[in-house]
Amino acid sequence: METVSRLTENYFYLVAIILFVIGTHTMLTHSNMIKKVIAMNIMDSSVFLLFVAIGYTHGAQAPIIRDGADIVYANPLPGALIVTGIVVAVSVTAYALSIIVKIQRSYGTIDCDEICELRSDD
Amino acid sequence: MESAGHQPVLIIVTLLISAFLSPLLYRWRKFLSGMVLLAALTGAFVTALTLLGQVARSGELSYYLGNWPPPWGIELVIDPLRVYMLLVVTGVSLWIFVYALRDLEHELHHDVIGWYYSLYALLVASMSAMTLTNDLFNLFVLMEICAISACAIITIKDKRECLEAGFKYLIMSAMGTGCFLLGVAMIYMVTGYLNFSFIQTGLAAALSEYPLNIFTAAALFIVAFGTKAALFPLHVWLPDAHASAPSPSSAMLSGLVIKIYAFALFMIFYRVFPRSLLDAIPLNEIILWLGAMGVMFGSIYAMLQTDLKKMLAYSSIGQIAFIFMGIGLDQPLALTGGLYHIMVHAFTKSMLFMSAGAIIYSTGVRRISDLAGIGRVLPIPLLAFTIGSASMIGLPGTGGLISKWYLALGALETGRIFFLLVILASSLLNAIYYMPIVINAFMSGDEFKEKVKTVPPSMQATLVVGILLVVISGIFSRQIIVLFEQALTSLY
Amino acid sequence: MLEDQIVRITSRLVAPFIQVYGIYVILHGHLSPGGGFSGGAIFGASLVLIALSFNLEAGVKQISHQTASVLESGGALGFTVTGLIAIALGGNYLANRAAGFPLGEAGQFFSSGAIMVITVFVGIKVASTITTLFYNIIEKETPHGNSKQAD
Repeated sequence: METVSRLTENYFYLVAIILFVIGTHTMLTHSNMIKKVIAMNIMDSSVFLLFVAIGYTHGAQAPIIRDGADIVYANPLPGALIVTGIVVAVSVTAYALSIIVKIQRSYGTIDCDEICELRSDD
Repeated sequence: MESAGHQPVLIIVTLLISAFLSPLLYRWRKFLSGMVLLAALTGAFVTALTLLGQVARSGELSYYLGNWPPPWGIELVIDPLRVYMLLVVTGVSLWIFVYALRDLEHELHHDVIGWYYSLYALLVASMSAMTLTNDLFNLFVLMEICAISACAIITIKDKRECLEAGFKYLIMSAMGTGCFLLGVAMIYMVTGYLNFSFIQTGLAAALSEYPLNIFTAAALFIVAFGTKAALFPLHVWLPDAHASAPSPSSAMLSGLVIKIYAFALFMIFYRVFPRSLLDAIPLNEIILWLGAMGVMFGSIYAMLQTDLKKMLAYSSIGQIAFIFMGIGLDQPLALTGGLYHIMVHAFTKSMLFMSAGAIIYSTGVRRISDLAGIGRVLPIPLLAFTIGSASMIGLPGTGGLISKWYLALGALETGRIFFLLVILASSLLNAIYYMPIVINAFMSGDEFKEKVKTVPPSMQATLVVGILLVVISGIFSRQIIVLFEQALTSLY
Repeated sequence: MLEDQIVRITSRLVAPFIQVYGIYVILHGHLSPGGGFSGGAIFGASLVLIALSFNLEAGVKQISHQTASVLESGGALGFTVTGLIAIALGGNYLANRAAGFPLGEAGQFFSSGAIMVITVFVGIKVASTITTLFYNIIEKETPHGNSKQAD
């Protein structure tokens, strides 16, 4: 019972981990390269979600300084880190997609299994 | 801790600036572009040497980026081990670059060479920064820069094998960095810090309260760095990537890139994880067994290869596992051996890939069986190959002996005779697949049949330098070993 | 590319506003959520929008390949040089107040010293990178072709 209540309190951890596993599994088992890249993004996003969830404080506001009032701010650091993480994920995705375009041009397919067959014929 | 001068950050920034300039310069002055990067690499190496002097005088130094002290800002730390790694990175990349200047003309289309220089500089900059940084998230960003530029120096050669190998490498390293970031999140969750030193104290306090989070983070870190450094069961991307790349890229990837992750894992184990965590779960034991398996299987796979560069790539899997065994034995002597092997293997494997590159440059031969009698037409590349093989086996007079000697001493010291046998067996296996090539190249009665192009003098010169480096690292090792001994006593 | 009048007219109308919004986000990065990356991405998206709704030539007319790659290197160079200026002024690399950049009054437009300069450079870099990435992916053939032969 205690485990269940801990899980429901911290459901975002569970969601992040489920997404992470979905991403990793799809990335490693699907043979379509575009699906691999999508899965990579799901995996990265799950980590970003977890990171942002760490910085969340209940009832807190966005960390922009306002005069006077005694306001509780959310932790801005995870947000700043995740923006960097998103930039990195975008560049990896763009690079992966451009490799896929080139692979499609030279092999005529974006399926890993078919490429393996083509290579074994060489 | 004293504050350093601006040298550490200048090393990184000089390389970054030359990375941004070289594609621009290459548009109108092809020659200048290469020279700018050469100057930047030389500057980085010389600055690293001055850092060594500074560290020898005043011990550990630190540098706060943007004058923000930790835990708020990013901190660069300069200690003897990091400076050693920095010297290896900058020195070896300078050496490989001299070779690359001529070899690239032959391997790449001339339009993309400027971009290659840019990627090369980015790769060296990210690796130098990875040795110095004392911040986990900074390490993550640098790992991604390193991964992208390492993939890009493979896929820049527009051949279909390279594209596929590069994609495989990219996906595997994306998995690695994903795991690493999740681990960082777990650690940030329990400690609230990203700075190595602050995490170490934070983790020691949090270990009893949140053990599961911390154990998960440790497991994720092992997967992350294991994937990136090609630790045995996670090595599948390496052979294709390292074998199909242009030869300077192969030398760079096998010589430095996989090692920087092994060094990062070493840093995580001894600078981020507190002793109590290493005692609580058998992290070192896991690394040790995976390393021992890697040593054996890497050598066995290498024996089965028919392609010269593929064989060298599989041999890298076996050799990187020695470094992990050093970490796994968790003992000063073994760590000395492992860390020394970083340098020895950087010299040796880069030289082997460069001599393979020289063979491909002048004859176009890649199959091992076609190399009969090649020693008489290409004496210097094959001499380099011979010395390199000797160092891989661990013959006296080469650096390979020193690192294996210290690893073996470490194994004896901890009473793990089995791992001593693993080290000996792998030497034997290395001899089985390296020696026939050497013997065949020099002693074979057959004349070498293919057409031979002369190897340019700059490439020959780099190979001669390589021979000297391997031999010097085998004879004058005392200074560096003493440096390790002093640095490693602070860890225990 | 799309051959649709409605899409073309709408995107031509909307593009300048997107660009102004992108510049706004870049320049107010130190005051509100946003900054170099977000603003640069918005600005770059407007150029991608034009290339998508018309064709590649129309996009290249806005910002040529050559200019984009010069801007890319220039943006990154500007960032590093701003960091070096801080060293020249006596601070550490990328120092802001410690190097003596004027900070102004909190909440004002000019209130962040070197950060705004850096944000502008990041914005330039990101906008040009996004357009080059897009051009490179949709281009028909690479300039040096595909070499399929093994060596």
